[in-house]
Amino acid sequence: MNALAQQGWIWFSQALTQHSSFSGYFQPLIQLIAPQWSTDAYRAQVIEIRDELADMFTLVLKPKTGLIDQQWPSFKAGQFIELMVEKEGSRTLRCFSISSSPAHYKKTGLIELSIRIQRQGRITPWIREQMRVGSLVNISVAQGDFILPTPLVEKYLFIAGGSGITPFRSMLQQQLLSEETEQRDIHLLYYSRNNQHIAFQQELEQLQNNCPNITVTFINGEQEGFICEQHVQNYCPDYHQRTSFICGPSPMIQQARKVLSDLKVDNSKINFEFFGAAPIEMKSTGQAIVHFQASEKIVVSEENKTETLLEQAEAQGLTPVSGCRIGVCHQCICKKKSGIVFNTRTQQYSDTGSEEIQLCISVAQGDVVLDL
Amino acid sequence: MDTKMQKTKPSAEQLLYLEQSFNAIRDEVISDLGERDAKHIHKIIRIQRSCEVSGRLLIMFGFNPIPWALGAVLLGLSKILETMEIGHNVMHGQYDWMNDPNINSKTYDWDTACPGESWKETHNHEHHTYTNILGKDRDYGYDLLRLTHKEKWHPANIFQVIYYGLLSVFFQWGVALHELNFGGILKGEVSLKEKIPFLKQFGRKSARQIFKDYIFFPLIAGPFFLQVLLGNIVANLIRNLWTSTIIFCGHFPEEVETFSIEECENETKGHWYYRQMLGSANFHGSTLLHTLSGNLSFQVEHHLFPDLPAHRYAEISPKVQAIAKELGIPYHTGSFFKQYSGVLKRILVHSLPEPKTA
Repeated sequence: MNALAQQGWIWFSQALTQHSSFSGYFQPLIQLIAPQWSTDAYRAQVIEIRDELADMFTLVLKPKTGLIDQQWPSFKAGQFIELMVEKEGSRTLRCFSISSSPAHYKKTGLIELSIRIQRQGRITPWIREQMRVGSLVNISVAQGDFILPTPLVEKYLFIAGGSGITPFRSMLQQQLLSEETEQRDIHLLYYSRNNQHIAFQQELEQLQNNCPNITVTFINGEQEGFICEQHVQNYCPDYHQRTSFICGPSPMIQQARKVLSDLKVDNSKINFEFFGAAPIEMKSTGQAIVHFQASEKIVVSEENKTETLLEQAEAQGLTPVSGCRIGVCHQCICKKKSGIVFNTRTQQYSDTGSEEIQLCISVAQGDVVLDL
Repeated sequence: MDTKMQKTKPSAEQLLYLEQSFNAIRDEVISDLGERDAKHIHKIIRIQRSCEVSGRLLIMFGFNPIPWALGAVLLGLSKILETMEIGHNVMHGQYDWMNDPNINSKTYDWDTACPGESWKETHNHEHHTYTNILGKDRDYGYDLLRLTHKEKWHPANIFQVIYYGLLSVFFQWGVALHELNFGGILKGEVSLKEKIPFLKQFGRKSARQIFKDYIFFPLIAGPFFLQVLLGNIVANLIRNLWTSTIIFCGHFPEEVETFSIEECENETKGHWYYRQMLGSANFHGSTLLHTLSGNLSFQVEHHLFPDLPAHRYAEISPKVQAIAKELGIPYHTGSFFKQYSGVLKRILVHSLPEPKTA
């Protein structure tokens, strides 16, 4: 009944406004008094921009509250949000882990995003340059299941690589600020490129001094190299009693998973979060022909060069709506008329028939026809 | 009357030069797309929404003829802006690069009886690809009007000026039913059965439009039912007459040419550009006139670059004209009245058969 009423309401709204929601129709007018107001996002104001490293900065955001703005629902330590910005008239969306804790948000109404500036990136350097204190941005609700399980007393091994420290900072800060009496036992192995690139170093050292249950081991990649069995065995000898959480660049995650597996850590005790798109792990990458039917374009993909359908479409000059580009936001949904695609996020192959797919995480297998 | 095809059709080299020059114009605009264009469409949308809301309020609560008439005009204006500068242009994909789901050709549906999906097929695909090719571009005369001596005369053409008047009055319905290809069904070329999916689509969309303007808003006005119904009818009429006039000025003024299917076989992009130039006509006027026509007053530029934001056409027009002049390709333009009287003349002249020459 509820679903039927909802459908009826959408029909009513479409009949009157050609939009599936009334607020969508009124959005341009509402924006006259509330800039950046949007039906599909929350507004937040930039309170502070803090440089952490030469190539990393923190945006301190205050989600807006008030008559026009819905209250931004809180989050769990380890989750991420989509940050939407308008660059040269074009809406762009990127996912970032929240680097501060829910307890901090409860106390101050602020959240922090710690963003690594991608040197060749189109968006992150621009955000650092363009954002000013007072700027308005759009954010989504918090998402993601890279969170600590609820039974409280347990032992954890955190493995962070570079900017992959952000969700861990949130979890550690939560432990420090929340008034829970039972504390988790956490050991953090924090890999950095060299001793110039350690974000939140002081803060983490202090945390270690204040909390007896938290141990932080800084590992300088330049001197000690990539993660290996010896590191885990030497720095955290009781690793087999701990549940692991890994976050960082994808090669580092792959390596850490392999190391833990080799050390006979049960797979169910290994959690990880890719920063950015999951790597494409396809068995075979034969030639594929993609037919963009509506725009009458055909692309023959090269062997051994795996590109997502979104990348292929954009290379053809098409501009499908896109968002996070890592399979989170579902904005680049497109109808596949036929053919098999490989989903890089779920690592699954699709059926051959007609269905909606996410372009940014789909790779063509053989011949694919898209309604694009 | 059709002028004969240009005596000297451009050579293959000239067509290649045309192709490269126009591609360069397009690339330059594409690389410059940005905030200015986003601001433009946002502004037009805000003006349109304001006109619609205030128009509907005035029609309902005007309580006397002058505010009522003002309301009807405002609502008509809103519908003109929505159909021309917003709907038509957004559905061409002119703003897809903004990555805004509300201003995207994939999702946008306009405030007319014509389903957006159907429009994208019949207009964006058929008409823009086969512009003015007789037998392929059904927009040419809409299966209703004979506009060139190349088409056979039929006694029913005698009254075609009346058909034209009726088409203008009910223009949104004419556009909406275009995909049905009624002419084709009468001739037995198309079966009604294959049009069932379209008819369902049409039924859904037109039901929504009728519900809005002729049932819902009049009903909630209670005792003012009739004044709201009438106001909405007038607003739709204003939009229908205006859009029909603009569309007819785009392809049917006197000097505009038609093509045969054979002429366009294995066509190069250069020839396609050439055909678009000969097959379209501009008219000049104020910025307001251009905006109200959805910048289809730059029909030539629109047909060359259907997916560039239309407010850019005025800026690239001098470049297009310079290249046309260089190659001796006609560039059809004139005052609004010259173009429109040309259209009327064409409808009248071709309603009668040509006198037989020995």
